[in-house]
Amino acid sequence: MRGTLLAVTGLVLGGASLAGLVVSGALERSAVSSAVRTPLSAEQVKALAPRGAAIAAAADCYACHTARGGAPWAGGMPFETPFGTIHATNISPSPEGIGGWSRADFHRALRDGIAPGGRHLYPAMPYTSYRGMSEGDVDALYAYLTTRAPKPVANRPNTLPFPFDQRWTLAAWNLLNLPASVADPDPARSALWNRGRYVTEALGHCGECHTPRDITQGLRTRAALTGAVIEGLDAPDITPAGLRRMGFSPASLARFMGLGLSAQGSATHQMFDVVHFSTQHMERADLTAMAAYLFDRDAVEAEAPPALPPPAPVEAAVAARARATYDGLCAGCHGAKAEGIPHVSVALRGNASLRTASPSGFVRAVLAGLPAQSFPGGERMEAMPGFAVDLDDAAIADLANWMRAEWGGQAPAVRPNDIAAVRATLTARHAARE
Amino acid sequence: MTTSPDPQALSLTVNDRPVGPVPVPRGTSMQEFLHEWLGLTGARMGCGQGICNACTVMIEEEGKLPREIRTCITGAHWFEGRRVRTVEGHARQEADGSLTLSPVQQAFVEAFAFQCGYCTPGFVTAATVLIERLRQRPVERGQVESVVTEALDHHICRCTGYVRYHTAVRDLVLATPGLVTA
Repeated sequence: MRGTLLAVTGLVLGGASLAGLVVSGALERSAVSSAVRTPLSAEQVKALAPRGAAIAAAADCYACHTARGGAPWAGGMPFETPFGTIHATNISPSPEGIGGWSRADFHRALRDGIAPGGRHLYPAMPYTSYRGMSEGDVDALYAYLTTRAPKPVANRPNTLPFPFDQRWTLAAWNLLNLPASVADPDPARSALWNRGRYVTEALGHCGECHTPRDITQGLRTRAALTGAVIEGLDAPDITPAGLRRMGFSPASLARFMGLGLSAQGSATHQMFDVVHFSTQHMERADLTAMAAYLFDRDAVEAEAPPALPPPAPVEAAVAARARATYDGLCAGCHGAKAEGIPHVSVALRGNASLRTASPSGFVRAVLAGLPAQSFPGGERMEAMPGFAVDLDDAAIADLANWMRAEWGGQAPAVRPNDIAAVRATLTARHAARE
Repeated sequence: MTTSPDPQALSLTVNDRPVGPVPVPRGTSMQEFLHEWLGLTGARMGCGQGICNACTVMIEEEGKLPREIRTCITGAHWFEGRRVRTVEGHARQEADGSLTLSPVQQAFVEAFAFQCGYCTPGFVTAATVLIERLRQRPVERGQVESVVTEALDHHICRCTGYVRYHTAVRDLVLATPGLVTA
């Protein structure tokens, strides 16, 4: 009896002190060196800022830290998470933003996820990825952001219920999910591959959307880049097999990231923003490096994209119904043979959205349409209307099955329930906006 | 729109009159069908890409509000069994053969809303759809301005400008009993 009591007391005390250690942050490991305690001189800031602009583009800071139609770098962009809505913060050098942040403060926020005053950032800010950024790149980014125009815009409050509004709990989250150390360059691989890994994993933080998350919302690194659901849409598998399935070769992938368009179609949904705000502004060499890493190659050579799989068989009745829908509502812009119209609509034959494992991106486009898109070099695609009113779930399932089979070589497996699920996410989003 | 040679029978109702069955090649656009088969040329070919909305017609369904649909990018066979109202079907034919313009058409004439008239069929369609909607779901007076803007917004006009169209529809909404709540 006495022994049990002692054991229980010991466990409770041990648990409490462990919790205390976690909360106090004593177990958190900083990736920031003491060298950054020395402030940068004005000359250093001036010299570093231009390179910082390129880092900001590659790290896609603007897309999240600028609300659509809002002041640049002033935050306000909402993010729907399974726990509530988080708003990106002001990172312009104003008192509401990072005005007054020291070089070390900035390094800590970016690589440890801790803002001045010990306030933990939510991992919607991809500090778990940025942790891998080099000290020089973080300095350049600091130089660039602190020389932007200050915007006196207040931060929008997050709508997170208890206990997710308790920032200290993130100390425990970090213990589970923040990598202790940063990967060193792999000497067995080429400089191109290593640069690609840095650009993809640290700067581009591709895994934040394309890697599935576990129950704590930490990245499941063992399933890195195999695809994940984000804001109701599937970010596709971008492992070498996944990329080949969509029809990419390393060279065509690099081209797609630079232009937002390729034979596989255009970047849509959230990926359009990634191209628009980030990858189209990146150095071509970095895009090639990214493609090399994603395809796990040491060099990128000219090679033909993988062949389009032959059409998969579809039940005749399904094909007839889908063909009638396609001729009625789709062919006017995409062409009777899915060839598309230059500068108006993409070709659908071989389109990546018909080849991914999940049809959700295609289905959302059919239901809600797509906005007009502009691409580098004056290229553009016109807006696509949504057909949520015209087509019911069964009609869209038929259409998806037939189009995926005919022009994507995918066996028909879409059910009306799948369409209803996408429709529900759209209704929820619409209700949230009202 | 590319046409394929295999014709397929098409039956629908256009401006309250039954049409067909008439053989129409698969892949024919609704606009082409209206122009070339029925001689109804009011739905205009503008961009051919679904952007300018000069080609819209009303689709009428039992128990539902009428809505606009672009005929340049929609296939004729998609209208199989449906009821359609083109701009030719808005005015009322009187017993003596004369025409009485619809309230929307009359408002556009009185406001000098159009100049070349190319975009007018689309604007007539959009404004009529709006009036029908407001008849069933009236809006507050303060919302009229933005509701009219929203209803006409996707229609492109290249000569008169939008102000007179907008004014005409707004004034008509405000002057018609039952469309606006207090």
